[in-house]
Amino acid sequence: MSGSLSSLNTALTALRFNRVALDVASNNIANASTEGYTRRRVIGESIGTSAVPALWSRYAGPEGLVGRGVTVGSVDRMSDPFLDARSRREHAAQSYLDVRATSMSRVESGMGEPGDSGVAAALTAFRSSWHDTANDPGSAAARGQVLARGQALVDAVRAQAVALDAEAGDQRGRLLGAVNEINTAAAELAATNKAIAGASLDGVDGSGLLDRRDQLATRLAELVGGQASPGANGVLDVSVNGAALVSGSVAGRLALTGGVTSSGADDGVPVTYAITTGTSATAVPPGVGGSVGAITDLLTTTLPAYAEGLSAVVTTLADEVNSLHASGYDLVGTTGRAFFSFTAGDAARTLEVAVRSGDEIAASALPGGVLDGSRAAAMAATGQSEDAYRRLVTGFGTEVASVKRLASTQQLLTTQVDSAREQLAGVNLDEEMVSMLSAQRAYEAAARVMTVVDSVLDTLINRTGSLR
Amino acid sequence: MSTFRVTQKMLAGQSVASLQTGLERLAKVQEQLSTGRVINRPSDSPVGALSAMRFREAISTQEQYSRNADNGVGWLSTIDTSLGSMSDGVRRARELGLQGASTGSSSSAARAALAAEVDQLRESLISQANTSYLGRPVLGGVTAGSTAFDAGGAYVGTPGAVERTVGDGVRVRVDLTGTDVVGVNGASLFDDLDNLSAALVAGDSAAMRAALSSLEGRLNTIVAARATVGATQNRIEAAAQKASDAMVSLGSSLSEVENTDLPKAIVDLKLQEVAYQAALASTARVMQPSLVDFLR
Repeated sequence: MSGSLSSLNTALTALRFNRVALDVASNNIANASTEGYTRRRVIGESIGTSAVPALWSRYAGPEGLVGRGVTVGSVDRMSDPFLDARSRREHAAQSYLDVRATSMSRVESGMGEPGDSGVAAALTAFRSSWHDTANDPGSAAARGQVLARGQALVDAVRAQAVALDAEAGDQRGRLLGAVNEINTAAAELAATNKAIAGASLDGVDGSGLLDRRDQLATRLAELVGGQASPGANGVLDVSVNGAALVSGSVAGRLALTGGVTSSGADDGVPVTYAITTGTSATAVPPGVGGSVGAITDLLTTTLPAYAEGLSAVVTTLADEVNSLHASGYDLVGTTGRAFFSFTAGDAARTLEVAVRSGDEIAASALPGGVLDGSRAAAMAATGQSEDAYRRLVTGFGTEVASVKRLASTQQLLTTQVDSAREQLAGVNLDEEMVSMLSAQRAYEAAARVMTVVDSVLDTLINRTGSLR
Repeated sequence: MSTFRVTQKMLAGQSVASLQTGLERLAKVQEQLSTGRVINRPSDSPVGALSAMRFREAISTQEQYSRNADNGVGWLSTIDTSLGSMSDGVRRARELGLQGASTGSSSSAARAALAAEVDQLRESLISQANTSYLGRPVLGGVTAGSTAFDAGGAYVGTPGAVERTVGDGVRVRVDLTGTDVVGVNGASLFDDLDNLSAALVAGDSAAMRAALSSLEGRLNTIVAARATVGATQNRIEAAAQKASDAMVSLGSSLSEVENTDLPKAIVDLKLQEVAYQAALASTARVMQPSLVDFLR
């Protein structure tokens, strides 16, 4: 049996509940554009009699059939762990491809091919200067031009080698920065995990912490392709390619164990990582993802492969030219000189024109300082290096084109997953306006109920028995 | 029922993304128009870039072939001119010899005058045989010196082929070895003229006839050499023509692969511009209203 004042109490619960609903709506509106914010929804529960029959439960009379008001059941965070995991995976793939595409396009633009200023053009000009010397072996101008064009070719090759080195240097610097950021994010995620565990034990609302947790996990996925798995009490554990980085409230430290020195220099070995937790270090298996994975692949595979290809082309060219040059005779009949000098294994960076003056150019196939140009004509005939260089450049171009295509396809996928996530978690202002209005109306109605009950009580108390 | 929720942030994100895409496409067309090329880097079209690089190299090679051919034609026409005047000289010497031989009874003074003219002819023939092109004696082979024959008419050149590359693997010899034209030292055209002159002075008609018949042979050799030179010249000119034809066709192939198709690019530009403006306009319209505007 309920007292006469129970309706007042019911109206009071409605006032309280609708105030919370207004608060939630206003918080949602306030965070409509906050990065990583997940929409909240208030779930009301009507207060009724106990659903479970208890020892002292008894028939409450007709009043017992009516509810006793409303209470806040929970404030839900509208997120879906499946979508979150999916989004992290797509973001990791996206940042891997983006970093790779950006760096490779930079290298590609530095080549200047096809065009009038690249290695191919320098090589053609070099061949053509040999033709001119073959036409006029006695001319100092033609011989000087061979030297100058040879030097231009060396410069063009070196420029590419230096650009590759510079790109690798930039990427190494970037890698050090990324590793630092990973460690900061991991430490922060561990701290957030700890706070979440505490909050869930205390029963405090931890939605803000959960938002922060998801944001950090996404950042770690972007940086290093960290895989997150939910643990007890709402924490997220993150591992990198199988090696644990964050477990619960403990964060490991990711460190470079090879490839890059602490000052950002190349130490000549492939890039490897290990995660130190406490005193034990675990090596990270190769094949990490995210932007760190992209940088690792660039440093260990892509850039060295192109540099080696370039060196191979240069070696072919220099060997071809040198063997012809050494068997020819210069203007005074000296033979056996090499035209180019280079260090084997690093031809692109160390290529030099070894011949010092035009007279030393071996244009003649006949001894005795005669004006024969047949050796120069043989030099002028295009060799294998042109073909090899073209293959190298277009091979790299194909790779760049494919990475760019993959990146734009991945962009579609990432956008789609993000928008699926946003559909669930994003704040729609119209929706919030509607729930705000309904809370407002409900609040007004509850207040009116109070007035009515008040007037009923007024009738009962002040008018009862009065005949006037 | 599954509802597709659309949030303001999604709208904003999509608008920004589509504006970016529109701008990127505009920038691409703009690059093609401003550089005039559709292949600005290998990844724009790896296959096209390969062809473009190959065409560029081939054009430059053909250009060089045509330059080589011009140089070769220079050598050959110099030789041709020189052989022309040499054959005139030899013919004149024969006339003088015949004159001396047929008037065997003529006075020694007249014969001495004939001999003097033969000597003059010999001098001038030596100088003809030393004709040079760009500082190199055209009959001197690969000699580093400036003459093919010394003042006495002895061959001082270095036999060796002077060749010009006028096509892929096509090398054409553009010189003549002096001894092939005038004969070896000791039995050369100049020695014959010496003999003729001596015979004229001595009035030895047998020696004169011997010299005359030998001069007949020289003349044939020179004429034959001139014919060879003419044939070679034709060959080189044909090669030069081929090279310049190839340059034209390679140039148009390169342009087909590499250059922007202007009408297409301009239509593209217009299309992208319209698309971009539409995206801007729709963004402006979509971002504006919300329920707030309608609730009072």
